[in-house]
Amino acid sequence: MMYEHFDNAVKGITEKLNQDPEGINARKKYALELSKLGKKLYSKDENIAWCGVTAPFDLLGSMGVTSCFVEFVGAILSSTQTAGLFLEEAEDSGFATDSCAYHRAVMGAVLKNAMPEPDFIIGTSSPCTAGLAIVENFANQYKKDFFILNVPQNYTKDAVKFLAAQIEEMTSFVSDHTKRPLSKEKLGIALDYFNRSSQLLKDIYDLAKTKPSPVDNKFLKDFGTVMALLMGTQQGVDICRAFKDELNHRIKTGRHHASKEKIRLMWIQNRIQYPFPINEMLDDLGARLVVDELNDVTWEPMDPDKPFESIAKRMISIPYSMDTSERIRHMQDLALAYRIDGAINPCHWGCRQGTGPRGLISKGLKDINVPVLNLEIDCVDSRNLAKGQIETRVEAFIEMLS
Amino acid sequence: MNKKIGFTCAYTPVPLIEAAGFSPFRIFPESKAPDQAGHLLHDNLCPHVKKVLNRALADDLPGLEGMVFINSCDSMRRLADAWHEARPDDRTILLDLPSGINNLSLDFLSKEYERLAKTLFKWNNESFSPEIIPEIKPEIELDKIKDKIATWNLLAASVKKIEEKMSLDYFPGIASALQQIINTAATDSTDKALAMAQKKIEPKEPAKAGKSPVFIFGNLLFDPKVYDLFEEWNVHVTASDFCTTSRFITPVDTRTDNNIFRSLADSYLKQTPCARTMDTAKPGSIAQRIVQRAKESNAKGVIGFILKFCDPYLARIPMIRQALQKESIPFIMLEGDCTMGSMGQQQTRIEAFTEMLGV
Ligand code: SF4
Ligand code: SF4
Repeated sequence: MMYEHFDNAVKGITEKLNQDPEGINARKKYALELSKLGKKLYSKDENIAWCGVTAPFDLLGSMGVTSCFVEFVGAILSSTQTAGLFLEEAEDSGFATDSCAYHRAVMGAVLKNAMPEPDFIIGTSSPCTAGLAIVENFANQYKKDFFILNVPQNYTKDAVKFLAAQIEEMTSFVSDHTKRPLSKEKLGIALDYFNRSSQLLKDIYDLAKTKPSPVDNKFLKDFGTVMALLMGTQQGVDICRAFKDELNHRIKTGRHHASKEKIRLMWIQNRIQYPFPINEMLDDLGARLVVDELNDVTWEPMDPDKPFESIAKRMISIPYSMDTSERIRHMQDLALAYRIDGAINPCHWGCRQGTGPRGLISKGLKDINVPVLNLEIDCVDSRNLAKGQIETRVEAFIEMLS
Repeated sequence: MNKKIGFTCAYTPVPLIEAAGFSPFRIFPESKAPDQAGHLLHDNLCPHVKKVLNRALADDLPGLEGMVFINSCDSMRRLADAWHEARPDDRTILLDLPSGINNLSLDFLSKEYERLAKTLFKWNNESFSPEIIPEIKPEIELDKIKDKIATWNLLAASVKKIEEKMSLDYFPGIASALQQIINTAATDSTDKALAMAQKKIEPKEPAKAGKSPVFIFGNLLFDPKVYDLFEEWNVHVTASDFCTTSRFITPVDTRTDNNIFRSLADSYLKQTPCARTMDTAKPGSIAQRIVQRAKESNAKGVIGFILKFCDPYLARIPMIRQALQKESIPFIMLEGDCTMGSMGQQQTRIEAFTEMLGV
């Protein structure tokens, strides 16, 4: 089922792109590459690793491993409105309804044999304990070897050394399974792509800061988290360039939706994955999501002479790994740089990591006069969605900001 | 009376707190403090963390010289974050705790424990003479730590003996008495707990028959009165696995390494098997461990007491259930806040379970 989904997506998007060979079409190119990745994951003739969100996909890619974080599948199931079936399967097998639905959906897919069997599993302690628990369940279910990257929260020399040593150990673990040693040259190439993508990301985010902003509410949806899957490749560089070109084009031609921008907003953590017209609704109200909390480059360029240390520093630097006070400081910086009027925190049900500090985040942004709308919503499971209530609250919030 | 150091997680080595001249004070999630945690954290965090935060917000705590937090799970991380807001003047330290067990993790944790020891000694010296920080004398400090570990190990051995008795026969009141001993070690002193334990090794009352032997496990179950209730409800607790029961008194094998902190890391990471720690060589081994412990303690059934919203445990319940089923060991899981308050609601289910098990 999933293979067909990705295969059809690849065909459909390729056809559309062929009809407009001169167009920039950044989002289509992005969707195409993600669909190709999905197809590879389900194709059965690749070395596959299911991972945690912050795994070093560039390094794994350079070792010939097709890898992805398991939550990606949860998001796809939700966006294609097929998650319900899998959520029920997981719940019937005893997975708590209070847990994160990204994990519950993907666990349901494992139990229903709708996931490709990995060759091995790499868990990451960042962003969350729940993610680690779910990949342990994967390893147990598939009887596959399991490796954990512990991402410390304290950003100290010892912490970086510890994580770098684990990443190095991970490469031996991977080699043992693929029978391919780590090639310094291939890793160097992947890191170079990563660095070029990072620079382009910075440019993209700088362009998004323009007032009025050239982004529309969907343009950079979950971009920071998902792009990590592609950044160590030529395709990743091409996509970033397409996004940058499209933003420049929008600014130059003035043909972007920015004309309607009355209110500038930040979205906290992940977006809602199933079809829910919040973007359109915000559009109608003249509000624009100009920045997502996770769309930022928080790391220094990767140093090919110290690859493991560079990757370790990058993993510890991202908001998923930060403690709340640092995370708030990061949000405050974004709020000032993007000159936002307010923020929306979806408070994804079941997420202790991101949603856990709800009150602390509201307070931290209030300290710099940025009001926060806390929506109590499940970003993946739409079964109990109180649509009307959410619409009313969003409307009232935007009205208050206006 | 010694000054107190607060902590919340069983991965905090009490011998280090005592060696630095403090008394341990584990903050149990039980209090009449109003529910205010939701102002800082989301309501979907475990009741353990919310109730401890409620205590902090309501000042329902004794004077504390500092707080030790462990980055053991997301909820605990968030508690550490919220503490700064709730009690901004407290000195705090957050230790990173690896999730997997291997050499790198053990080396790292040993450095974290060393950092804890240094911080605690510093906290004590500073508060004795704020102007002059005395020169650190590492040998004396190490000797103090070794001494405290030796007492701790005696306590662990005594607790083990009591548990062995419990698994063989039903002695009324022994489970509750054992909990009092463990709570004393968590909130007062190892010496006192040891004195209490030594008196309990030989039960005063003869063994009785007529109760259902049950192994219990979960996150926290710390109120001694709960164990009396179990007896009323026909349960003979043969053994337990909570981070507030015997697994809290982790014996420290000092023979494993010359470095005392490495010995601590080895012992705590390997022997305090809370669901948040994993043996990557055996994914899902928590399920096997529970089966094994239930069998070893001669239990006929297993009850899991799991805190609502606790990801580490809730995500492992399906595999635990499966493993017990495979061995035909009856199992029920009770979800709640694991305090006396919520226990009453469980009576009917527990009684029905023991009735089904028979004696
Ligand atoms: S349940 Fe585990 S992580 Fe939580 S306090 Fe207990 S030992 Fe620590
Ligand atoms: S392990 Fe579970 S119960 Fe323990 S502190 Fe973490 S979330 Fe709470």
